[in-house]
Amino acid sequence: MAAAKDKDREKTLLYVPGEGWLHRLNPLTRLTGLGLVAVAAFALPPAATIVIALVATLMGTVAGAGAVFLRRLTLTLGPLALALFVVHGMLMDHPNRFGFLGLDLSHDGLMYMVKILGRIAALLSGSLVFVTTTHPSALLKALDSHGFPPGVSYLIASPLLLLEPFTQRARAIREAQMARGLDLEGSFFARIRAFPALLLPLVTLALADIDHRAQVLDGRGFRARPRRTVLDAPKDSPRQRLARRVMLGLAPLLIVGAFFWH
Amino acid sequence: MKLDTRTLVLMAVAIVINIVVGQIAVWLKLPIYIDAIGTVLVAVLAGPFAGALTGLLTNVIWGLILDPGALWFFPVSVVIGLVAGGLARAGWFRAIPLTVLAGVVIAVLSTIVAIPIIVYVYGGVTGAGTDFLTAYMVGIGNKLIESVGIANLLQNLGDKVLTVLVAWAIIKRLPSRFTSGFPFFRYSQG
Repeated sequence: MAAAKDKDREKTLLYVPGEGWLHRLNPLTRLTGLGLVAVAAFALPPAATIVIALVATLMGTVAGAGAVFLRRLTLTLGPLALALFVVHGMLMDHPNRFGFLGLDLSHDGLMYMVKILGRIAALLSGSLVFVTTTHPSALLKALDSHGFPPGVSYLIASPLLLLEPFTQRARAIREAQMARGLDLEGSFFARIRAFPALLLPLVTLALADIDHRAQVLDGRGFRARPRRTVLDAPKDSPRQRLARRVMLGLAPLLIVGAFFWH
Repeated sequence: MKLDTRTLVLMAVAIVINIVVGQIAVWLKLPIYIDAIGTVLVAVLAGPFAGALTGLLTNVIWGLILDPGALWFFPVSVVIGLVAGGLARAGWFRAIPLTVLAGVVIAVLSTIVAIPIIVYVYGGVTGAGTDFLTAYMVGIGNKLIESVGIANLLQNLGDKVLTVLVAWAIIKRLPSRFTSGFPFFRYSQG
């Protein structure tokens, strides 16, 4: 039963278990890398952002998350590419227009589309490298072992742990209300009316638990000092600490470089 | 600013409410996000700082586990928490008419914050349903920033007014035994 629940919780996460070098890195190193990718996605020209996206996707695939990358990149970039093509390639008043298959297109508009898609692909694939190789509990242990306050750790950890039970509770309320005749497939206004019937029991039940949860936390003294130590903190190394400092140093250089380049 | 344990737990539950309620909207095939009910609840019960932090963490956690694209919209959620808390402090959540007006103010301000993110990061489109309206507005000769603003404001008006009304309905049903632990809530009682 507990194993089944754990399996359900894993399904909610994008995390893919693995033992490769990317998985073995300290979560803070991957988080710093994600920060650098976020800066680079805005600072570097389109060709570089496309290379970042390809490298990140390759890294994710090697780490065993190829299917997650394929699905997420397709679902996000597909509709975005279509919308950018229509708005910037066809409708907006960009210069350098030409005809193709009966469509009046703009060369500059299409280049702008490539720029935005490259940026989003770099941001998305960089984020995916982090979330597919970092289990939330490992991130929390890394934050704890680096001295982050327990309140911050609780605010990140607790929602991750509560999400699956709440989703299951919402499903149970939906089934119960449907058994009472609630129409989820009716007209727009019927569905609007159905909204409170699903929402209010869920929120009321959630808020009813708060006092009990707070008492349990206080009873454990989770904010007591001296702070707890993490017994199995994610491994760190001088090389990784150096890599994080280098990445943190590179970020402002990229911003300054982009300022002059533009 | 140190938050007490009860407020921390409320914020954690509110983050989950934000995420799960978005799922309910998907079940009902409603063209709304309605993903800030928890943020507004916290803002009204515990103040603008707690509301803003709840909004920020909702987007961070949503981004980490479900949709990395949600991360980049965290400033919008922070503004929703700050504005809802500020309006609650001014007594706008005491009765329905002012609560509806609060929804309108939140919609306008969150749209103003969202526009630069949508235009600069996403090129004016996000791959969502509002892109049809944006494309139409551009097609009839409006500038991109105006088109994005109008499309998102229309969508946000419905979304945020519904959000504050649902939050208001929940808050008014809460027993005083529960709300008495949140001193900030006195500004919304009347």
